[in-house]
Amino acid sequence: MSDPILKIRNIESFYGPIMAIRGVSLDVHQGRIVSILGANGAGKTTLMKTISGVMDPEKGQIIFEGLEIQGREPHKIVHDGIVHVPEGREVFPLMTVEENLALGAFTRSDSHGIERDREMVFDYFPILKERRNQEAGTLSGGQQQMLAIGRGLMGKPKVMLLDEPSLGLSPLLVKEIFTILKRLNDEQNMTMMLVEQNASAALELAHDGYVMEVGRIVMDGTADELMKSEDIQNFYLGVQEDGAREQRRWKRKKTWR
Amino acid sequence: MNMQTPVKSTTINGVTYNAEAGQRPVRVDSCTTIVELFQKRCADLGPKTIHREKDLGIWKEFTWNDYWNHALWIGMGLRKLGLKRGEVVSILSEDRKEWAYFDMGIQSVGGIASGVYTTDSGSQLNYLVNDSGSRFLVVENEEQLDKFLTHEDEMPSLLKVIILEDEGLHDLDHPRCMLISELYEIGKAADAEDPNAFEAEIAIAKPEDTALLIYTSGTTGMPKGAMLGHENIMAAIEAGARRLAVLETDEQLCFLPLCHILERDVSIYFPLAGKCIVNFAESPETVFNNLQEVSPNTFTAVPRVWEKIYSQVLIMVQEATPAGRLAYGLAMKAGQKRAGYLIGGKPVPAGVAANFWLWDKLVLRNLRRMLGFDRMRRGGTGAAPISPELLKWYWSIGVPLVEGYGMTETAGLATMNTRHENTVGTIGMPIPGYDLRIADDGEIQTKGLNNFQGYWRNNEKTAETFTDDGWLRTGDVGSVNDAGFVTITGRLKDIIITAGGKNITPAEIESRLKFSHYISDAVIIGDRRKFLTALIMIDQENVEKYAQDQKVPFSNFASLCAAKEVKDLIEAEVKSVNKEFARVEQIKDFRLIDVLLTAEDEELTATMKLKRSYVEKAHSHLIEEMY
Repeated sequence: MSDPILKIRNIESFYGPIMAIRGVSLDVHQGRIVSILGANGAGKTTLMKTISGVMDPEKGQIIFEGLEIQGREPHKIVHDGIVHVPEGREVFPLMTVEENLALGAFTRSDSHGIERDREMVFDYFPILKERRNQEAGTLSGGQQQMLAIGRGLMGKPKVMLLDEPSLGLSPLLVKEIFTILKRLNDEQNMTMMLVEQNASAALELAHDGYVMEVGRIVMDGTADELMKSEDIQNFYLGVQEDGAREQRRWKRKKTWR
Repeated sequence: MNMQTPVKSTTINGVTYNAEAGQRPVRVDSCTTIVELFQKRCADLGPKTIHREKDLGIWKEFTWNDYWNHALWIGMGLRKLGLKRGEVVSILSEDRKEWAYFDMGIQSVGGIASGVYTTDSGSQLNYLVNDSGSRFLVVENEEQLDKFLTHEDEMPSLLKVIILEDEGLHDLDHPRCMLISELYEIGKAADAEDPNAFEAEIAIAKPEDTALLIYTSGTTGMPKGAMLGHENIMAAIEAGARRLAVLETDEQLCFLPLCHILERDVSIYFPLAGKCIVNFAESPETVFNNLQEVSPNTFTAVPRVWEKIYSQVLIMVQEATPAGRLAYGLAMKAGQKRAGYLIGGKPVPAGVAANFWLWDKLVLRNLRRMLGFDRMRRGGTGAAPISPELLKWYWSIGVPLVEGYGMTETAGLATMNTRHENTVGTIGMPIPGYDLRIADDGEIQTKGLNNFQGYWRNNEKTAETFTDDGWLRTGDVGSVNDAGFVTITGRLKDIIITAGGKNITPAEIESRLKFSHYISDAVIIGDRRKFLTALIMIDQENVEKYAQDQKVPFSNFASLCAAKEVKDLIEAEVKSVNKEFARVEQIKDFRLIDVLLTAEDEELTATMKLKRSYVEKAHSHLIEEMY
């Protein structure tokens, strides 16, 4: 495989005295979807924020297309081509859909390109075109998520960081959004890094996966490999082991092999 | 029992023992069996605290009266349900007060208590229950219960399974299962029906009766049940009082598995004599927090635990401010100087003592308080070799840590260093009243009242374990110096004969490797091979820290082991060990075991030591790569 487009090496990030990421290294290759799985507090969102520059790492390197970008200002990182679609959508509620999209292209000056990308966004998310003049706050949760992704696309990213796009959405909407993400990956060769609690949807979509626990990576592999792992099946995919009794409550210990 | 000849007695910390150790009958406050001593203590100390257990975050106290009542209900209940004298009851539970209640309850009515590790699988449980012919099985919770349920048809000898925690089991309706509360009710009723029957059963017990069965992990073949009688344990208590004194005011922390003779002695039997308070750790994961909370007066652990604490301090120091590091360095210097005198048993010169006093006040006292060692009178280590440097470090920070040696077959004790008779790097002198000799092939052999009775239903193995003149073959090779201190070099059956015909004891090299901060365990390979190689298990925490500091990228454990820098690090450690050994004993190559082993894995013993035969089998591909 070619050199990864995004390389993360030994990142450590802190919230005050609390070490949230305790040395994480991972690779994201061009055109792949990489999924980060993990329980609450594992450090997934912190990892995303550290990559997009919202947080500065204490140690380690983030290498994007061969250049170290850790600690740079977030807007510069967007300009370099990494766009962060944050958890919980965070669209600007009092602005219209179009204005939200225009903000996504804030770092760009090629008006033709911007126009083309807006059409592309409308192509992928026709509902946004329909509601282009509506205030974003009045959209439904799923539509806001689409807008957030669309706003991200407006930055003409090389890598998209998607933090829990399925949060609070109905299974049908999750399916719809994930289908669009898949199309984006197939048709635009968009590289994505995806943080998800919805492990089965994420592994379905992703090519590669990493599992985080208390700030460290405990397991990695291709999505297929991970789906076959007993630990993943038990702890993330909700597969019940055949037990001696029906109402078994305990779970075996994780070994991450 | 020969009661005619009056035996002279002596009093140690308020408890009377025979004046001369190792003499029949072994008496502790004139009791000759474990259960007699248990009865006496409960009667004398009734409302005083013996156990503490944490419940929903609060330490709760339990008295000797609780101990007596619950053991009585258990004993009478099991008797009512059909337990006969000389029959076995298996206990599958983490450490908790009920473990002690069952141990005493079972023994009081003449049963034999046998512990099963909670990390054992269902099929291992099946083997142990059938081999011991257990009549009852005690399981802690639903997780352990499921091990029984998956094999229930294969355990015909079991009459009942008793469950300690009912969480998640309210709907359970199984003819062979019952909750402990039901057993207590049966016991109460049986006691009301036939009062004093329990005391009568205790009175029947004789010193030569088998009291407990301890299955030895067995690095080869299936586990064997070592039978220990009342006399064996009483002899261990007697030796313990002389070598590992506990006081009535002492606090202890119980956290190693009670299935293991070491913790069983220290946390159940020695407190019967010493009357100290035993605090049960919440879980194996919380030991270090519990240690701080309890701040025990004596603490017995395996080397791995001592190493872990040491690593924590090192990491703390590395991350301290420059001033903090400087203070630590100076304090350690003062501590080492004093430790040099203390370990050698020499008086500490006033200047050294004064300097230590100062640094103790400034640094070391705080360090000890942080670790939960501020009241520690004595630390003990056993069950595996420990690095002399580590022992010295503990002495330097003001924690007297002594090494001892024993095995299940010697009721846990054979030799012991003490605070005052201590030679670092040896396992100490034989315990009082116990004989030790070195056979022609170098094997350490022992004789004394704490030597076990034999293996359960396995006369062949028993015969192999004793010499014709009745000495116990420990299987360990070692030597005794002029002062009487014993040193172990390795296991007899592990001796490697290289293709060149040279005999090598791998344990010596393995221990040296293990003393490295970065190596948690190692197995030397080389039997009938041209040269020696090693399979090494790295210490996850310390190597991860090293990799992180050196900016070595890794994701999971396997990639950590695969990193070139980590291999180089271990290679440097191996090279430094090689310098201490002769040419034929050089490790020519090594491989890292890149799976993170857990106690559930066959390759590890319950005390987290690698099992040679299993490791060789499971990682044969790595071995073949090297030859």
